[in-house]
Amino acid sequence: MSGFNFVRPAGFRQLPEDAKPVVSLKGLTKRFGKVVANDGITLDIYPGRIKALLGENGAGKSTMMSMLAGRYQPDEGHIEVKGKPVRFQTSKDAIAAGIGMVYQNFMLVDSMTVAENVLLGQEGSFFVNPREMEKRVGELAKQYGLAIDPAAHITDLSMGERQVVEILKLLYRESQILIFDEPTAVLTPEETNSLFEALWRMTEQGKSIIFISHKLEEVIALADEIAILRRGRIEGELDPAAIESKADLASKMVGKDVLLEVDRNEVEIGEPVLEVKNMNGLGLRNIDLEVKKGEVVALVGVAGNGQKALVEAVTGLVKPPIDTVFIMGQPWRKFFAESTWNRSMCYIPEDRLGLATLRNQNLVDNLLLTTRKGFAKGWWLDKKKAEKDTIDLIEKFDIRPGRIHALAWQLSGGNLQKAVLARELYRQPRLIVAEQPTQGLDVSATEEVWGRLLQARDMAGILLVTGDLNEALQLADKIAVIYRGEILGILPTSDPETTSKIGPLMAGVVE
Amino acid sequence: MWELMIPLLAATVQSGTPILFATLGEMMTEKGGVLNLGVEGMLAVSALAAFVTSMYTGSPWLAFIAGGFAGFAMAALHGFVCITCLGNQVVSGLAITILGLGLADFIGVPYVGLPAPGFDPFPFPVLSEIPIIGDIFFKHDALVYVSFVVPVIFWFFLKRTSLGMHVSATGEMPAAAAAVGLKPIKLRYLAVVVGGFLIGLGGAYLSLAYTHLWTNGLSGGRGWIAVALVIFAFWRPGRAVIGAYLFGGVMAFQLRLQAMGTNLPSSLLLMLPYLLTIIVLIISAARGRRIDAPAALGTNIEPEG
Repeated sequence: MSGFNFVRPAGFRQLPEDAKPVVSLKGLTKRFGKVVANDGITLDIYPGRIKALLGENGAGKSTMMSMLAGRYQPDEGHIEVKGKPVRFQTSKDAIAAGIGMVYQNFMLVDSMTVAENVLLGQEGSFFVNPREMEKRVGELAKQYGLAIDPAAHITDLSMGERQVVEILKLLYRESQILIFDEPTAVLTPEETNSLFEALWRMTEQGKSIIFISHKLEEVIALADEIAILRRGRIEGELDPAAIESKADLASKMVGKDVLLEVDRNEVEIGEPVLEVKNMNGLGLRNIDLEVKKGEVVALVGVAGNGQKALVEAVTGLVKPPIDTVFIMGQPWRKFFAESTWNRSMCYIPEDRLGLATLRNQNLVDNLLLTTRKGFAKGWWLDKKKAEKDTIDLIEKFDIRPGRIHALAWQLSGGNLQKAVLARELYRQPRLIVAEQPTQGLDVSATEEVWGRLLQARDMAGILLVTGDLNEALQLADKIAVIYRGEILGILPTSDPETTSKIGPLMAGVVE
Repeated sequence: MWELMIPLLAATVQSGTPILFATLGEMMTEKGGVLNLGVEGMLAVSALAAFVTSMYTGSPWLAFIAGGFAGFAMAALHGFVCITCLGNQVVSGLAITILGLGLADFIGVPYVGLPAPGFDPFPFPVLSEIPIIGDIFFKHDALVYVSFVVPVIFWFFLKRTSLGMHVSATGEMPAAAAAVGLKPIKLRYLAVVVGGFLIGLGGAYLSLAYTHLWTNGLSGGRGWIAVALVIFAFWRPGRAVIGAYLFGGVMAFQLRLQAMGTNLPSSLLLMLPYLLTIIVLIISAARGRRIDAPAALGTNIEPEG
């Protein structure tokens, strides 16, 4: 995990009294269909400072920055650069206004050299000379203290070095505001350190940095100002010098206000359907977890603390160490060797349009993805029955548009999730692994998904992986908090003190 | 020994020339990220276009350029299907080949067996005096001399001009090119039509210099060899020269063997270039050099959103 040891070279920096924002966001709102991704965002960016934007996955960080970088146009509100309102039609307009973004997936030409990539589109003349280009880029890198060989090919570079190339691209275009979207996700701790040092040097030369992250430690160590984004809104702005504890920040980030409630009736608790016993490896440490039939166990934590590894091990995507995972009483190996299509385990992945469904296939074929064996008649596939059952499911789950020939990508996020849920529940599972099942859904779809999951407790136990604390509190019987690959505590939701205990645990604070 | 070798090597250069033009044309197209399997058909059409132009105008140079523009036009059609309509590049290319071969045969019917003015060999001043080298390289027609310069210009374009860099970037990662404000669609069109023009020059060579008359099937599989040679050359113009002459050599050698009246069946000899194609592809694959291919080769640029 993040083992960096960056320390502010000059301590906390005060915002000068007379500082004027270089860029201001004024009430930006962006909607995708019914989902409000950004809701009235107002934010000031000052020169020479690092603004961290903290928020969970799906909080709307990327949408907001894409508007600033000219990729999306806001539905309401506007952006001001040095006090003047601007409208960016394309990312080119934003670059011209001095705003540049380093995306999570680098936009580099692998077969070209560092110098060629930095100068691509900015060569300045028809004829080019590699030596001269390398010299120009080398000088630029030196000016900002970035270590890179301008003649190296991108293929031979580490992720950290590639990021430096992206930064150089922005610096060469004289960007004043540099936006970094989760820049440390692909970096080693050493590379994170040198990135932070470079960011700091850039601010000393007057650049503004916007640093998007969900990693608390990094934000606390680096930022001059912290803005917290939750469910598309700015939840508050903090001075890092005034932060009392990581726990405080964590609870602000995930929030604990109840936005939506469901009635949950009591269900009889049965045999364990999932047992994880003393699991070590895959980045996880001493994991002990049990899910019984009729029970919802929520796994919460700041994203990237080992949730993915645990889900992958349980669902069979990666192989866990021997004798650590038992599903329906059977060891992992035996379970997957003999697994049947129904009355077994089902998985509702976070990635709905990649892992859960095939984007260019219709609903019938998507239903058949995991239920094929249920429609098999010897060598033949009973497509008629599959079509009939799809129609039934569309009706039962109210999936729109209500046509079986609709392709997966044509469905909205909520309807697609309902389709996935319909398919998986059709298998009458005994164990359900649901990963961020309501992320990005509107209120009514969220309610629907929650209701279905609670209903499924009659036949199954549920492992719910979520970053939404309210969801965990509403659905779960127990909440397991994971931090750096370790489960720090399993708390019953019936205990009224649980809510206040989760925040500190998520930040790794154990009393 | 040399008395036998020099004419063979000189013939190698001559029969390698049309392959060289076609290979460089295909290489340019692929550098921009578009696969063009229509080379064979484009060679046939441009050979006919050049021949007809030469017959009616009497100007071989004008005919040479006309051949280039015939290739240009066919490539533009391929570009429209693949770049604008997002059609499958393999299917479109194969269609261009079938269309081109059929079209050339059909329109060429009245010209079969007719002669037209073309290019005749002349010793290049000074350079042809060099022993051996002069005999092999500098006693050809003017188009062969042109073909010596084209790979150098090609290399210079790719490595020493910003436009060449932009084309390469488009073939490697159109999204990266677009992100820095370039126009990947236009750049792809450019690579496709310029590549088509070069392929057209190769076709023109066939009817204007290789033969001076029109017959059916003049392209004779050279288009397919060019497609394979681009892989053999690892998308580098210098290696394209070596590859083109290697194949030219096999073709010339095979013709000589037939002329000498060996006992080997002629169909077996005609097979030689294609056998070499397969061997070359296996060797390239074994050396794992497919990674040198432009990364976005064969994939269309989908509009955003």
